[in-house]
Amino acid sequence: MNTMLNLSASPHVRDKWTTPFIMRMVTLSLMPATLVGILVYGWNAFGIVALSVITAVAAEWLWCKACKKPSTIWDGSAVVTGLLLALSLGPQTPLYLPVIGSVFAIVVCKGCFGGLGKNFINPALAARCFLLISFANAMAIKPVVDAVATATPVGAMKAGEAVNITSMFLGTADGVIGSSILALLIGGLLLWSLDIIHGEICFSVLIGFTLFLGLFGGKGFDPEYLLAHLCGGGVVMGAFFMATDYVTSPVSRLGQFIYGCLIGVLGGLFRLKGNTADSFSYAIIIGNVCTPLIDTYIVQKPFAYRKVVGKTRKTSKEPFRIPKPVIALTLIAAIAGVALSGVFSMTKDTIEEQDKLAQAAAYSEVCPDAKSFTFSDKVQEILGDEGIDQGNAHINACYIGKDGSGNVAGYALSLSAKGFGGDMVIALGLTPEGKIIKISFTEIKETAGLGMKATEPEFKDQFGGKGGTLTLVKGAASAENEISAISGASITSNAVTDAVNAGLEFYETVLKGGI
Amino acid sequence: MKNTFRGGVHPDGHKGLSRDSRLRPFDPKGEMVFPLSMHIGKPAKPVVKKNDEVKVGQLLAEADGFISAPVHSSCSGKVKAIEKRRVLGGGMAECIVIDNDGQFTPFADYTQRLSAEELSNQEIIKRVQEAGIVGLGGAGFPTSVKLQPKNPEAIDYVIANGAECEPYLTCNDQLMRIHSNEIVEGLDLVLRLFPNAKGVVCIEDNKPEAIEAMRIAASDRPRISVRTMVTKYPQGGERSLIQAVAGVDFPTSKLPADVGCVVQNVGTLYAIQRAVLYGEPLFSQCFTVTGEAVANPGNFMVRVGTSYAELLEAAGGVAEGKEIRKALSGGPMMGIAIGSLDIPIQKQNNGMTLLAEDPVEEAEALMTSCLRCGRCTVVCPMGLSPSLMADAAIAGDLERYEKKLYGMDCIQCGSCSFACPAKRPLTPTFKQAKAEIQEKKKREGGGQK
Repeated sequence: MNTMLNLSASPHVRDKWTTPFIMRMVTLSLMPATLVGILVYGWNAFGIVALSVITAVAAEWLWCKACKKPSTIWDGSAVVTGLLLALSLGPQTPLYLPVIGSVFAIVVCKGCFGGLGKNFINPALAARCFLLISFANAMAIKPVVDAVATATPVGAMKAGEAVNITSMFLGTADGVIGSSILALLIGGLLLWSLDIIHGEICFSVLIGFTLFLGLFGGKGFDPEYLLAHLCGGGVVMGAFFMATDYVTSPVSRLGQFIYGCLIGVLGGLFRLKGNTADSFSYAIIIGNVCTPLIDTYIVQKPFAYRKVVGKTRKTSKEPFRIPKPVIALTLIAAIAGVALSGVFSMTKDTIEEQDKLAQAAAYSEVCPDAKSFTFSDKVQEILGDEGIDQGNAHINACYIGKDGSGNVAGYALSLSAKGFGGDMVIALGLTPEGKIIKISFTEIKETAGLGMKATEPEFKDQFGGKGGTLTLVKGAASAENEISAISGASITSNAVTDAVNAGLEFYETVLKGGI
Repeated sequence: MKNTFRGGVHPDGHKGLSRDSRLRPFDPKGEMVFPLSMHIGKPAKPVVKKNDEVKVGQLLAEADGFISAPVHSSCSGKVKAIEKRRVLGGGMAECIVIDNDGQFTPFADYTQRLSAEELSNQEIIKRVQEAGIVGLGGAGFPTSVKLQPKNPEAIDYVIANGAECEPYLTCNDQLMRIHSNEIVEGLDLVLRLFPNAKGVVCIEDNKPEAIEAMRIAASDRPRISVRTMVTKYPQGGERSLIQAVAGVDFPTSKLPADVGCVVQNVGTLYAIQRAVLYGEPLFSQCFTVTGEAVANPGNFMVRVGTSYAELLEAAGGVAEGKEIRKALSGGPMMGIAIGSLDIPIQKQNNGMTLLAEDPVEEAEALMTSCLRCGRCTVVCPMGLSPSLMADAAIAGDLERYEKKLYGMDCIQCGSCSFACPAKRPLTPTFKQAKAEIQEKKKREGGGQK
């Protein structure tokens, strides 16, 4: 044997896991949330993700060049940092912000401290906080999905408004790009089931946060309240993807648990008392900063030095364990199912109530003398659940308006007719004698400037005081039961008149004869 | 229910290469080299001179003190030299070199079964000591010392270690399949020394034939039971076995006997049976020649002093189209890399693994900074925090390494290095840190005197 053989210290074999493998798995687990974000928020979201990732990798490459170190872009950590940063930005963020953020994350937070494994705060999170503080206005999340809403769900919650948990859960509410809780949970539980992230951290964060809000939130353990807070403000993203960052979290199990609880409690405290919706990021940053302290003082004792509980010797058996992937899949299914059904059942009553309130307002408007509205058994029998067709229109519902002393003060009918832009719904108020009090539109989608003129007083006030059967005329109305059509919108005018006529006919055939 | 310990890793076994190759004797032709130190403790003192004629089983060197072991010849021939030769580990050590005549004339009759019924405990231990038996699991600690704890009544378990958790190696598997009765007899002899102990044979569940053979052999002995262990590295570590069998964890400052356990490798038990019942000294042991670079991997009863190179030829040499990239004495987890195959096989060696590819070379190319992912903490069978220990060792903070992180309790099993996704050389770092601390203590201790 003259050839020189390789020498090395034992062990001489290595596991298949590598740093790039872990980073690839983290990237993969972020894909569901990224895709949902891009699908919901559109191209700008895609631009932010792409720019952020590309800039992060480019910054890493340049930094290595500048430091004359071997390039570390292939370890995949820059991709993860860029992706995490992008997912924690709003979809309407100006495109220069992800660029600035990525450079800050890679160069200032990571490179300056010695690269991968040496940074003391999570680079993506630190970059996000840097952007939040330095570019507060540009970073404000502008509504994309719900044009009427003025705040993100967490902002709304802080203002005491109701939020739609289902859309927050699915990621269709306004928020950051990676705000789909379902997608984040799928990715997070995947990582947990592969033992890539530590359950000690992510679950203690969630539990700490929930317990704190339950105890001090003032609403007790109201599931709707807690779910709304858990689904918003980056709690799930923080718990599964930010707090679990290896480099900035403790090594020992106990340390990880303490760290997780600290973040959960601080996150809850900031959420309740702080004045920003982004408080969870700050909670994790504080947790990161505490990590070296935790690692210095909390070191797990070797088995041999641990106290044995009781005197009986316990031998280790191979316990029957449900494989983690099975637990993760079950959890995802259960969470999705419970969340969707729970949210539906919780919001069902509210939605119905809201609808009734809106209708009541419309009926009060067209029948102002009535103090309350009731149904009549006889009328309901005729209308059924679906209502009936009458002439060219449809009668949806009929309410009997009562005055203070219980006498009939008028009738309120809900009528539908086919307009130019689709179905319109009209509320028609009638006096006990069958004269029109007023009409109003609960739903109308006509052409602006033409059909929409139906909602203007000039047209709709013509109906007041009229009765019998109305006819539509072009130009000025001359007779008692004539209605002047809107010029250029005959279909709309016809539909309204048809609907009103149907209501009047219903009065003649049903209501007039007594209820 | 299978028994196991906490932590551990699952390296690829590669046992299929040699597991069904029947254990067969191998008689070498070349010169035989007997290092005087094939055990932990003081080297043996030669009792032969140059040009002396020796026979198989004849004493070459006697034990020098309590913790030492004698060396016997495994061949017949003439003593060629007593000189420094290159040995396992790369260094030069004093060796007795014998010109092998190829006759293998025995020094005494080792086929006659002696009566053991009326042997006293002292006589059993004496025979084990005189036979030069050392721990054949790899450490090479003199067995007679292990058999004489302070209080033999306090021993609860004698554990026969047949776990063979080291990847590639299969010779213990073969030994248990073929010599199950001899191993059980050896265990029975050891149990005579410990009146209150139970004998437990521990075998990983990837060796069903061996488990079956040992069960049958032990069926008529009420004190001996066979336990199936989970296949997991380092299941065959002394501490892992004691954890699994007796449920005790103990620091490295204590010995197994302190917690009521004696652990003997099945190969050692076989040697004890040979020594006590046949008077045969330890001059051969089971040995696996394996690895992707070997033409016909197999298991051999190999004579001590045979050169690695000659045994490789017996296994068909290097496989066609393959090249040895790395040669290991032992398996890949705890084995020692050897630079040249021209060194002698020692008593405590149980295999050689010749790799066509060097995973360490590949891993070094993939090395990144420590991610602090915590995998090392999860797999450590001692419950240590390797990533923090490495930080302290690299920073030179040996105080923290020793006192706060219990770094001296590392058993160097290699699980952390194996599991590390950043491919950090953790185990070598700890080896060095431990050596430095021991060195420092020795210096300070010496200074006080």
